[in-house]
Amino acid sequence: MVERKEQELLLQEASRKQLLRGQIDRREFLSRSLVAGLGMAGVGVAAKYGIGSALAQDRPLTPTFYDWIENLHPGIPAINEGFPDLNYQIAPVQGFGIERFVAEAKNGESTWDVYVGQTPFVEMTSLVEADVIEPWDDYIPAEVLDDMIPAIRDECTIDGKLYSWPFFLDVAGQGWHSGLTTTAGLPDSAPETWDDYLANAQAVIDSGAAPFGATFDAHGWRCVAPMAHSMSKDVYTPEGLFDFTSEPAIEALILMKKIMAVANPDILLAGATDGGVNGTPDEVAFAAQRVGYITKYFNAPLRMAQYWDEPTQLHLGPLPKFKGGEGSTVFWTTGSALFKHGQNKEKAAEYIKALTYDPRIWKDSIAGTETSHPGQLPPYKSIYAEWDANPPDWMLPFVALVRAQLDKAKAIENNLFGLSQFQIGQPLWQAYLTGEVEDPKVAMQNVMDAVKAERDRG
Amino acid sequence: MQRPHTSATARHLKDNLGTWVFLLPTLLFFVGYQVYPIFRVVWISFTNYEFLSNDPAQWVGFGNYVEALNDPLMWDSLWRAAYFTMMFLPGTIIFPMILAILVDRVQQPKLQTLYRIVLLIPALIPSTLVFVLWKWMYNYQVGPINYLLVDVFGIFTYQNAPQWLGGTALTLPSIAVMEVWWGLGYHAIFFLAGLAAIPKEMIEAARLDGANEWKVFWHITLPRLAPIMMILVVLRFGTSMAVIDEYLIFGGFNRASPTYTWTMFMYDQAFNIGLWRQGFAAAIGMIGAVVMIFFVGILLYIFRPRG
Amino acid sequence: MTHEAAHPVAYTPQQTWFARNRSLLIRHGVIWFFMLIILAPLAWVLLLSVKSLPDSMRGQLWPRKFDFTHYGYVLGKIETLPQNLFNSIYVTGATVIITTLCAVLAGYALVHLRPFGRAVIFTALLLSLYFPTRVVAIISIYELQDSLGLINSTTGLILPYVTLNLAISVLIMRAVFQLVPHEVIESARLDGAGVWKTLWFIGLPLVRNGLVVVLIVNFVTAWGEFLLGSTLTNDQEARTMPVVLAAAQGGMGQWAWPRIAAVYVIVVTPGLIAFAFAQKLFFKGLAEGVVKG
Repeated sequence: MVERKEQELLLQEASRKQLLRGQIDRREFLSRSLVAGLGMAGVGVAAKYGIGSALAQDRPLTPTFYDWIENLHPGIPAINEGFPDLNYQIAPVQGFGIERFVAEAKNGESTWDVYVGQTPFVEMTSLVEADVIEPWDDYIPAEVLDDMIPAIRDECTIDGKLYSWPFFLDVAGQGWHSGLTTTAGLPDSAPETWDDYLANAQAVIDSGAAPFGATFDAHGWRCVAPMAHSMSKDVYTPEGLFDFTSEPAIEALILMKKIMAVANPDILLAGATDGGVNGTPDEVAFAAQRVGYITKYFNAPLRMAQYWDEPTQLHLGPLPKFKGGEGSTVFWTTGSALFKHGQNKEKAAEYIKALTYDPRIWKDSIAGTETSHPGQLPPYKSIYAEWDANPPDWMLPFVALVRAQLDKAKAIENNLFGLSQFQIGQPLWQAYLTGEVEDPKVAMQNVMDAVKAERDRG
Repeated sequence: MQRPHTSATARHLKDNLGTWVFLLPTLLFFVGYQVYPIFRVVWISFTNYEFLSNDPAQWVGFGNYVEALNDPLMWDSLWRAAYFTMMFLPGTIIFPMILAILVDRVQQPKLQTLYRIVLLIPALIPSTLVFVLWKWMYNYQVGPINYLLVDVFGIFTYQNAPQWLGGTALTLPSIAVMEVWWGLGYHAIFFLAGLAAIPKEMIEAARLDGANEWKVFWHITLPRLAPIMMILVVLRFGTSMAVIDEYLIFGGFNRASPTYTWTMFMYDQAFNIGLWRQGFAAAIGMIGAVVMIFFVGILLYIFRPRG
Repeated sequence: MTHEAAHPVAYTPQQTWFARNRSLLIRHGVIWFFMLIILAPLAWVLLLSVKSLPDSMRGQLWPRKFDFTHYGYVLGKIETLPQNLFNSIYVTGATVIITTLCAVLAGYALVHLRPFGRAVIFTALLLSLYFPTRVVAIISIYELQDSLGLINSTTGLILPYVTLNLAISVLIMRAVFQLVPHEVIESARLDGAGVWKTLWFIGLPLVRNGLVVVLIVNFVTAWGEFLLGSTLTNDQEARTMPVVLAAAQGGMGQWAWPRIAAVYVIVVTPGLIAFAFAQKLFFKGLAEGVVKG
């Protein structure tokens, strides 16, 4: 009895979706609804009307996007037009909220087929642990897999399986306001070492070109991690936690205190959106043209320069390094996760492939459009090779620079605490920055203890 | 049953059933969306339920409570919520009351109307937009408040201007000011409703008896506003002790931030850290709720009907 | 003109106009001070919405260069804005009506019909106020909505929204019904009026003030709710305005400040105009309640 009811509802739902997509008209919908309502006796009739076929295809490919992606990449709807059946959605994940996905998976269902907006070190481990997503390996074409830049493929892999199909690459580097630095009499090139960087920043202040010399984003994955990587990438514990007590991490903390001496005083404050994570003070200072240098993922200075009188005065370079350091940095990708309980998995792979290879996306991302300038880059070797061979007229120099960095860069290792270890640690290492704790080693030991205590709770 | 008239009992029963029809809609909503979720949370708080794990939850008795009560963060975070409430609650009652008493005496109908419209404007703005507005107001670099303090009046410089939001000692007072601003007109309307219920003749009579403004306020206006005040105090105490949206937006998950109150501690554990230990988070929530109910008991005692 | 006029003693011809109207001036001065505090931030937003991008990142209040394109950008970018606005009005309206109805019935019954077990209900309602249900129980509310097939349904949002302020609304109505003497209700019933008639014609007019309060409380909460709205709906067309707006300023793709300010103005203005018209009825109800009371 219950089963029959469900069958009817399914038929009804399938017809409704066809109606919405304009595949059947209102009258046919009504007659089908009537048929479905007749119960089992009606099923035979229903087949005649083609309800069976409606049920078989059930729903169109339903991807859901983290909202910033369309804001930053307004070209996506144009590409969607190539997939007429697509049911494009915006995901309910304000500020990394994945609870909807998990709750649905627990019921063995998923409203969506693919989630575009997953950052591996942030939420991938959680989604795998909760059995929400499944690997792409069965669906992704081998040539695409081979085309991925190796460091990126590593980032997206857990236990040998690819859980994130990378889309947008963000790399941490430096940007400077050449208008301000030129006024300060500095050469228009990227300082190579942190010492030079600090000296330049001081020069900006001394010359009166701007009230502040340099700034950074106080969230650990945007300051401690990349700065530590610039000395050495070997800063992870065997279980994949960031090793805050390692020498590079401690040197990074000391460096941060030095930068703070030439930075905007509000540098340690929480940001304005997404749980303090975005809209941070460094961005406001840079957008307000009050600081010469910034270190962050390139998207940030590009976005902020839109506020300038002369946005072209923004110049970009690789992250400075410690003398004798490795000169690495941190990168992460934002990619797609395949829902275990979703449908249309082959179609999803087809769509994501088309999306991630589309030249329009990459042109808009690098050259910028009227409304946005994301500066996010592709994850595939072949795209860079093509640009090397035939440089497009809109190409910008920072792209080659980032590509070169990628051979040295490393992502933050995947771990259940990938993101939250930095949230737990922030107040403790900041005790050193604000002078409450004298010894950076003590501060970092406190961080490590707190992270491990939280890990042991679970 | 010793009752002589069974028919009276039957009528009593029938009356009671009729009465329950009045309560039915409320009970349906209340049980479905309030009682059931609460009981679920209570149950969860006694288990080791982890949202991201697929292992079945185990009964752990008071384990979560013991762990939470032994965590200094629990007490710090409760204290932060209480501190905010102490700053916010008096302001959000007293200012609107003064404003309402003043506006109530305006005799020109057009001006009355104008004032009342202006009063409700902030309440018409969705809370998310109120937060956006005040993040702009308080912005360290380019916000209008610091612009006035630094560039116009020269009281501060770019180096030492006040850092209103984002985890400093000023954060909670700043948020309290924002909340008072938001409730200024909204609460004033409550008081205006209360003031409208005071017969004007009563005040006139008192004046003729030689009572001054202060006496009129103290002996006539205030007692008549007491029920409204109680509703507001109890309502706002509840919201201010359990604020979360503002803290999520203004503070994030920095545990040293004054905005990391017990609600944030709970949210952090339930939706952010590790395997999302919702059993433990539920225990944090229960402790917070019990503390609140204790203080509300005191408030209700203070405002108990007298005389 | 005001109370002063009723006290001729306080008025002597040789006093200046300022001296005579001193309390009037102080009163209006204080009111205007409060009005300024309420309006100044909003005026700043209005100005921000027509600033050029560079000017929006300078402290200066008056822009060097105006830019009126932000409104067009916003309307082009959020095509569903009218729909979202409608959703908000629909959900808020239904929530306010249903909650008020529930609260009036329950408040009346609790006080004047004295049902068995009313103390339990009262205590349960009161205790529930101090329970952060909305935050702790979001998962179970999600499960509940899911089992009712109400995920992604704008109408479905009304159910949890009603409950958000149900307890306080019932308690407010209970409090105001307590002010109505029991004898008034009893005598009406002895005159032969049924329970419903008594409530409608006798009870309700006496509690208008409380009704106004309940209406406002529910309006404000439902109009601005974000957490449930964002969790329980997915489609841009099904969502309410605050949820869609939050997306515009969150994430890495957060919009430029003047554009968010333009959204601000677009969203707040209709509510304001509607309220300007509605307030007349609103305050009239308030005043009439008093006259009859």
